[in-house]
Amino acid sequence: MEDALNKNNRLAYYYIWISILLSVILIGLYGVLMSFVEGMEILEFNLLIPWSMMISVYIFFVVSSTGLCIVTSLGHVFGAKRYELIGKRGVFLAIITIVFGMIAIMLHLGHPERSAVYVWITPNIRSAIWGMGFFYSFYILFIMIEYWLLARADLAKTANTSIGWKQVFYGLSTFGMRSESEEAVSRDHKFAKIAGVAALISGLSAHSTLGAVFGHAEARAYWYGAYYPIYFLLSATFSGLAWLILMTVATYKIKSEEMPEKLKKLVFEMAKILAFLLSVGLLFMSYKMGFGLLDDAKAKTIMLFINGPLSVSFWGFEVGIGTLLPIIMLLISVKRVSLNGILAASFLVIVGLFMMRYDFVVAAQVYPVFKEVPSLFPALMEIFVIAGIFAGFFFVYTLAEKFLPLKETEH
Amino acid sequence: MQWEDNNLSRRDFVKLLGAAPASLVINVEKNGRRYAKLVDTSKCIGCRRCMSACKRWNNLPPYEVPETLVRDMDGTTYTVVNFKRSSRDAEIGKFIPWSCQHCIKPACAGVCPVTAISKNPVTGAVVVNEDKCIGCRYCFQACPYKVPRFDFHKRITRKCHLCYDRIPKLKPACVAGCPVDALDYGYRDLMLRKARQKAQLIKGYVLGEQEAGGTDVITILPAPPEEMGLIVAPKKVVNEDIDKVRISFSGFTAAAGLAGLLYLYSRFGKGE
Repeated sequence: MEDALNKNNRLAYYYIWISILLSVILIGLYGVLMSFVEGMEILEFNLLIPWSMMISVYIFFVVSSTGLCIVTSLGHVFGAKRYELIGKRGVFLAIITIVFGMIAIMLHLGHPERSAVYVWITPNIRSAIWGMGFFYSFYILFIMIEYWLLARADLAKTANTSIGWKQVFYGLSTFGMRSESEEAVSRDHKFAKIAGVAALISGLSAHSTLGAVFGHAEARAYWYGAYYPIYFLLSATFSGLAWLILMTVATYKIKSEEMPEKLKKLVFEMAKILAFLLSVGLLFMSYKMGFGLLDDAKAKTIMLFINGPLSVSFWGFEVGIGTLLPIIMLLISVKRVSLNGILAASFLVIVGLFMMRYDFVVAAQVYPVFKEVPSLFPALMEIFVIAGIFAGFFFVYTLAEKFLPLKETEH
Repeated sequence: MQWEDNNLSRRDFVKLLGAAPASLVINVEKNGRRYAKLVDTSKCIGCRRCMSACKRWNNLPPYEVPETLVRDMDGTTYTVVNFKRSSRDAEIGKFIPWSCQHCIKPACAGVCPVTAISKNPVTGAVVVNEDKCIGCRYCFQACPYKVPRFDFHKRITRKCHLCYDRIPKLKPACVAGCPVDALDYGYRDLMLRKARQKAQLIKGYVLGEQEAGGTDVITILPAPPEEMGLIVAPKKVVNEDIDKVRISFSGFTAAAGLAGLLYLYSRFGKGE
């Protein structure tokens, strides 16, 4: 009786969650529609700051995607068996993060349809954006193949054991390869490794070029240099870890399922690495800010963080909520074996990262254009669209959790 | 016979025909001087006919003057004229026509992912191909002068193209429209010589000689650009390819290093 009640309650919450997400998606779609009707400028809070919210959300998502690819590659590329557990969820998250990142960049581009053509017809290999587009195209292809190979056996199993539309849907999703034999699974595994290697190589290349997009910009002193291509790799790794911990633990909590012991162990291991990498990130950050202050070209921009309009966001979110607090929380929760603690900490890391991306993109563009610092707060429509993108992301994940094999299984 | 009238025998004519391609080459070398636009702020009276000539030639909508009266370029305004005063000496104040500086080695062309921006090395024009531009606005970031602007209606980047459809036969619309000869367009070396002479005379500054590795718009300023409140470009080529290689290489090296660390971690990490 109580079980049935619980189940009913959960179903109600599920529908509430879905309807909230759908309504936020609608708000986002309204923003997108208005940008077509009234002109793209409604998605820009200041016309003299050409890159703003869309670019920062794009970076936020694609960095997470590469990070997820890096973390999952530990399992089926580098052969650390325990990491194979999180393979499917990790790779699937890598797919949806990059897809929603791409949606954000499409909304930034004036003519996304042209980019798909001219990137291939008239490439400019001197341009970092071209390199990024080139590598990410392959990356998306490879991680999709990788996920399919990891999930095929499960999809086939569902197809073989169900009837009706379910059988058709899952049957189609296996592309007719419905064998569940050990041989087929080990073949999948072999190819998944190849796809994983390809995805990792293309992902890391794309990611270094993403850093170089900013690093190359000599006319933007704050971005310019070798720092960002390197730092982006580090922040990718910790954002990947944070996403994986957040989504894995949250999914088990919400479904009130007991986490397998092995997975729990792995999650705590990842939490420890996350704490370590966050502190390395803190070192990088202090290096950037400290040495930047000594450099005349960068000092003014850095003062925006330290003492300017971005100071709340920098000290509060990037340093406090996004780095220091999570490090402490992670260390304490690992010691106390508290899943709630690391869940909260990884959520804070994600929030901090989001703010960090925004600050990083916007701050560099203030000087030398503005004599007086303008407001750096995003426009309402930007917020609508971004909220829609995030809702879309969680919506797809929720559906996938229900219909696709994401669950931790051992090979 | 006509040939003989012109003192040109048939034999000579055939010789000339044979030599024609070679003479073309020689001509280019002899005449291979690049063009540039000269802006003489000491002559400018601030009538802004260059602005309207530009609008008319390029079929652009009229400009709405902001309340601050400080004109800024936008997606459909390629050139502006503002009165600027020196920060050092308030007596020094001039109207300064401002637009794309048409760098000899344009950083914007180097970063455009679809090669929509091209530089004509002879006429000097840096032109955005409006049918190709994807609107990513990377050129905005690369430009040392922060010139490119976004046309939100056409959803592309637009900026001064030095009237590439007029030059070098006709002068750019702004130059043709200037009533006081404050603007000029011609061989770069001539323009530069003129600019240097004038700058020496008024104890001014020649902008565009070294800035961003040299630009094909040369401006005679009454004082250095930082004093006149203009964006200062470094006196070297911005975004050189070798520099980009250096930065990209550091990223790829770090990526390889990370892959190595992952390998080591999965081999030797205990996982407890």
